[in-house]
Amino acid sequence: MPDTAVRELTYGEAVREAIAEEMRRDPRVFLIGEDVAEAGHPFKTLLGLVQEFGTQRIIDTPISEPGYAGIGVGAAMTGMRPVVDVMFGDFITLAMDQIVNQAAKVHYMSGGKLKVPIVFRTTLGATRRSAAQHSQSLHAWVSHVPGLKVALPSGPYEAKGLMKSAIRDDSPVVIFEDKMMYRVKGPVPAEDYTIPFGVAEIKRAGTDVTIVATSSMVTVALGAAKLLEEVGISAEVIDPRTTYPLDKQTLIDSARKTSRAIVVDEGYERYGVTAEIASVIADGAFYHLDAPVKRIGAMDVPVPFSPVLEDLTVPSEKSVFEAARALCGKA
Amino acid sequence: MPTNVIMPALELAQETGKILKWLKAPGDTVSKGEPIVEIETDKVTVEIEAPASGVLGDVTARAGDVVPVGTTIALIAGAGEAAVARPVPAGAPAVAALSGPVVNVAGQSPPAATIKASPLARKLAEEHAVDLARVKTNSGRIEKADVLAYVERRKVARAADGTAARLIAASPKARRLAAERGLDIGTLHGSGPGGAILAADVGAAKAPLVAAAPPATVGVSNVWRIMAERMTASWTTAPHFYLVREVNVSRLVSWREKASKHTGARITYTDLLVKLVAATIAQHPGMNAAWKDGTIVRNADINLGLAVAIDDGLVVPVVHRADTLKLPELAARREDVVSRAQAGKLRPADIQGGGFTISNLGMYGVDAFNAIVNPPQAGILAVGRIADRVVAVNGQPAVQPTLVLTLSCDHRAIDGARAAQFLGALADLIEEPALLV
Repeated sequence: MPDTAVRELTYGEAVREAIAEEMRRDPRVFLIGEDVAEAGHPFKTLLGLVQEFGTQRIIDTPISEPGYAGIGVGAAMTGMRPVVDVMFGDFITLAMDQIVNQAAKVHYMSGGKLKVPIVFRTTLGATRRSAAQHSQSLHAWVSHVPGLKVALPSGPYEAKGLMKSAIRDDSPVVIFEDKMMYRVKGPVPAEDYTIPFGVAEIKRAGTDVTIVATSSMVTVALGAAKLLEEVGISAEVIDPRTTYPLDKQTLIDSARKTSRAIVVDEGYERYGVTAEIASVIADGAFYHLDAPVKRIGAMDVPVPFSPVLEDLTVPSEKSVFEAARALCGKA
Repeated sequence: MPTNVIMPALELAQETGKILKWLKAPGDTVSKGEPIVEIETDKVTVEIEAPASGVLGDVTARAGDVVPVGTTIALIAGAGEAAVARPVPAGAPAVAALSGPVVNVAGQSPPAATIKASPLARKLAEEHAVDLARVKTNSGRIEKADVLAYVERRKVARAADGTAARLIAASPKARRLAAERGLDIGTLHGSGPGGAILAADVGAAKAPLVAAAPPATVGVSNVWRIMAERMTASWTTAPHFYLVREVNVSRLVSWREKASKHTGARITYTDLLVKLVAATIAQHPGMNAAWKDGTIVRNADINLGLAVAIDDGLVVPVVHRADTLKLPELAARREDVVSRAQAGKLRPADIQGGGFTISNLGMYGVDAFNAIVNPPQAGILAVGRIADRVVAVNGQPAVQPTLVLTLSCDHRAIDGARAAQFLGALADLIEEPALLV
């Protein structure tokens, strides 16, 4: 009797297991990026992969994001299924032409003759004391572009299931892992499973307020929900899991049920993921809302290096709790 | 000297009159006796006739204005005379708003012709239906920009009217729930931020018992309002008593047939009753009286009011000196005032001076009813229908046409015995009209 039901993996181990399983399943899958082979990635998420698959499939590159991103797009167009590792989400800025103008467009511009089954694997999340150029959450940038799918795993289970779906998807997928969650443990089935894109998960059922949260903000929202429960407010927490495709209906249905909604995301608040989701909810649940849809994103500042200041820039259990309480008129 | 057109006092207690409509415009030539303006008083809508021939001018009261009686509302200039603006006499009571949101003080707006405005401004004002008197100008002469600015402000003001309901803070859900339950969002108490109405506030509000249509409020006319006020005043101040008498109308019926045939006029029972009541009152002048300031005032003439139902209430035109009129004259007079009452065209004289009133609901199949005295009169006769009824004649039941009369009296002006004598004499006359001589 396998111990699948109770087996726990860290978020990092779940990512590695997903990639390894897919590489074993499909010889067209390979991984390319900086410090991915011998180093096993600076966050140690890829340890052991080069030993199993060799340097032909776990490929170290020079520090050149546009270069290896271009290699990945070309390989995908010609039949491979590359996983391109962009160490920090901040660095996708360097690869943006390959991601936005090439990967996202080729299928359309070739009249469907070419596919780009590529995965850009990168990170988001602050509070690692990595300063302004290594702490941003820029998933809104790619969520904005038609032709790209964007996944935001919120825990080990999601990390494995979404990665496997990403690798098997025939479209370009950008998957943002929260760098602060790699050591977070959670139950992960040993058997093969995937998580479909565009299907939100209700993490916690509630009746008074809907909290839509992405990535590590799901944990923050669940913590806030516990605090809210103590003051008699029942919060429903929903993880969209992918910002595109977005499971609008689940979000709208929940907001219709609770009449109140807060959207929490670690990206910059302005023009961000929170704005998009809040607008979807306002549009779909307007006549069922008893309060304006509230957004909580990262402070609109470069992420400070000072730990004290950095902590202030991102949503916390306390800030979500207080926002929800105010929204429910119990502040 | 130009002749003043004055807001007339059409009844003792009238303080103001409302201009309904000018039938003549300033500059029109009018002849003496020609209707020039429609006025609504406490009782009726009347046409005021030109008091002189000439050119109408200096119109200071506009349609909708409520003007104190005695106020000059226009001038009629004779041949060769110029209409000279006259100030409202000093000490004239301030204009009182009886009803309606806007009361224009007489003389507030100068006539359009005297306003300085450029030809283009006038053209624009006409295109946008702008009253130049309302347009402000800094230069003293209204120009294009002044008119356009006014139009813009008016647009904003009108738009604001429509948004009043939306200015109430309420959540979308609360609005939807309120609408679904037929609640007026403006009547709810909000518990949300800044007093915003939330869904819970709608839930707390009591839904109307019948979810269907709310009761309709019917706006009433001046005539109706006055009727309500006068009846309330009568009912609450005049101590009423009622005398009921059933009379045999066999003779009355045959009299009407003969009279109609004889005169060729359409004679109604009401006409006969007017004739008989007038004759009876001549013998019993106590019935033709009013209680006024602690004394009984007896009327010199026998003027009988006829209660007439019109579309928007009840009016009581008067047949003056009914005792002096022959039947065909009575019938003609009755037909004239009733038809004009129904058309809303009663003149002031038609409603003045009534001393006693007859109210006939026989045509509605009513057997008998108790009327409310029409103040300040002492009595009103309520007339039911003529029907074949079983009565005792010489100890035997017999079927005869009868009529039930109910006399309502103000006990301050007449007592039961004297009223009974009047009613007895009237009944005798009805049962034997030949006694009329």
